[in-house]
Amino acid sequence: MKWITRERPKIDRIACPWLIKNFVDKSAEFIYVPKEQVFAKAEELNAIPYDIPGAEYSHEGDFCTFDYIIRKHNITDSAIDQLAVIVRAADTDSFELAPQAAGLWAISAGLSYNIKDDHEQLIIGMKIYDALYSWAKHVYSEKHNWSPTL
Amino acid sequence: MKWITRERPKIDRIACPWLIRRFVDKDAEIIYVPFDEVIEKSKELNATPFDLPEVEYTHYGDECTFDYIIKKHRITDPALKVLAVIVRGADTDRHDIASQASGLWAISAGLSHNIKDDHQLLERGMMIYDALYSWAKHLQNERHTQNPIENLLLDVYKKFLKQKSGRAPAWTVELKEIIQDQIDTNLALCLKEISQSLNVHPTYLSREFSKYFDDLSFGDYIRKLRIEKAIVLLNDSKHSLAEIAYLTGFSDQSHFTRIFKKTTGKSPLSYKKSLAKSK
Repeated sequence: MKWITRERPKIDRIACPWLIKNFVDKSAEFIYVPKEQVFAKAEELNAIPYDIPGAEYSHEGDFCTFDYIIRKHNITDSAIDQLAVIVRAADTDSFELAPQAAGLWAISAGLSYNIKDDHEQLIIGMKIYDALYSWAKHVYSEKHNWSPTL
Repeated sequence: MKWITRERPKIDRIACPWLIRRFVDKDAEIIYVPFDEVIEKSKELNATPFDLPEVEYTHYGDECTFDYIIKKHRITDPALKVLAVIVRGADTDRHDIASQASGLWAISAGLSHNIKDDHQLLERGMMIYDALYSWAKHLQNERHTQNPIENLLLDVYKKFLKQKSGRAPAWTVELKEIIQDQIDTNLALCLKEISQSLNVHPTYLSREFSKYFDDLSFGDYIRKLRIEKAIVLLNDSKHSLAEIAYLTGFSDQSHFTRIFKKTTGKSPLSYKKSLAKSK
């Protein structure tokens, strides 16, 4: 399927494609267009619009599009639940929800500043969410301490 | 120049190469080898060893190698000062000194888990530090919502909706249960242990705690629960005051009496008497 949203992604519009690709639709294709063209292009290209007011796949109350995809597609993975809080916190400017949110936001904002091509940014963003997922799944309780002999 | 350090980098051994390449030596070649080979190889290859004990480029006190490079090479970029605290926080497990440290640590730990080739990891890491640097230089005060209408909605949401629903972070609910659970079984609660099981930094936890727990500090909240339990025991019990003191985690009866009186305005004994009268 094709998925379409607003251009210049930062958090949710990078995290959602990652989630879709890994848990919903392996062969998904992602399209970024100017905000006012999303619905017209969605129809034209037969693509699913997401993360834009008025679309089914969008924010709901406190929850962002990432949360909606998890619920809609019944994704049950505790690492994903943990990731969802971090994404929500970074995406909705509620850094107090998860300690990792401020760092994810700083890195994502900086990437978007450095990389002007949305698809290039998506490729790198995918690696960041791969990393956060691995952290949540495998490294979560590990602490980093400077001790070279360990 | 060549620079050499221990293999399997996570924070400092990625951040330092980034700093060296961007501010000290553009063409720096970075070499990663097993820990016990660093010194030997550094001589053989005429490379500068860094981020290991007993070399010049290393940790000093609380500061990590990244800080030392900034100092040694007199780099005065203010954005780097911000970055240095984040790196130090993530590298020395002091996530309380910079709010971005936990996220940097999580992403770095995950990258290191996914990418087994140190040089590939370095290339990925270079992008992360380029991003953090741009954020520190240009975007530090920018909020996520750029669109004025989104901002307006967010303001309304924060001022009214959020207040009404009184939504607290998920960890506060979990924490409440842990405290209640512990209070019944084991009164030796340690803020540090709790924060570990919640994966929230102890400093953050103690700072934020009162916001969600009746304006009380962690210690006061625990004390309040103990007194509440003492009141329950006084109400229905055949226990002596000394037994109640013990059951509610006080080391002796006089300490119990003092805290009880401070909290309720009455001593346990007169509280018990007034209960008997009202029955």
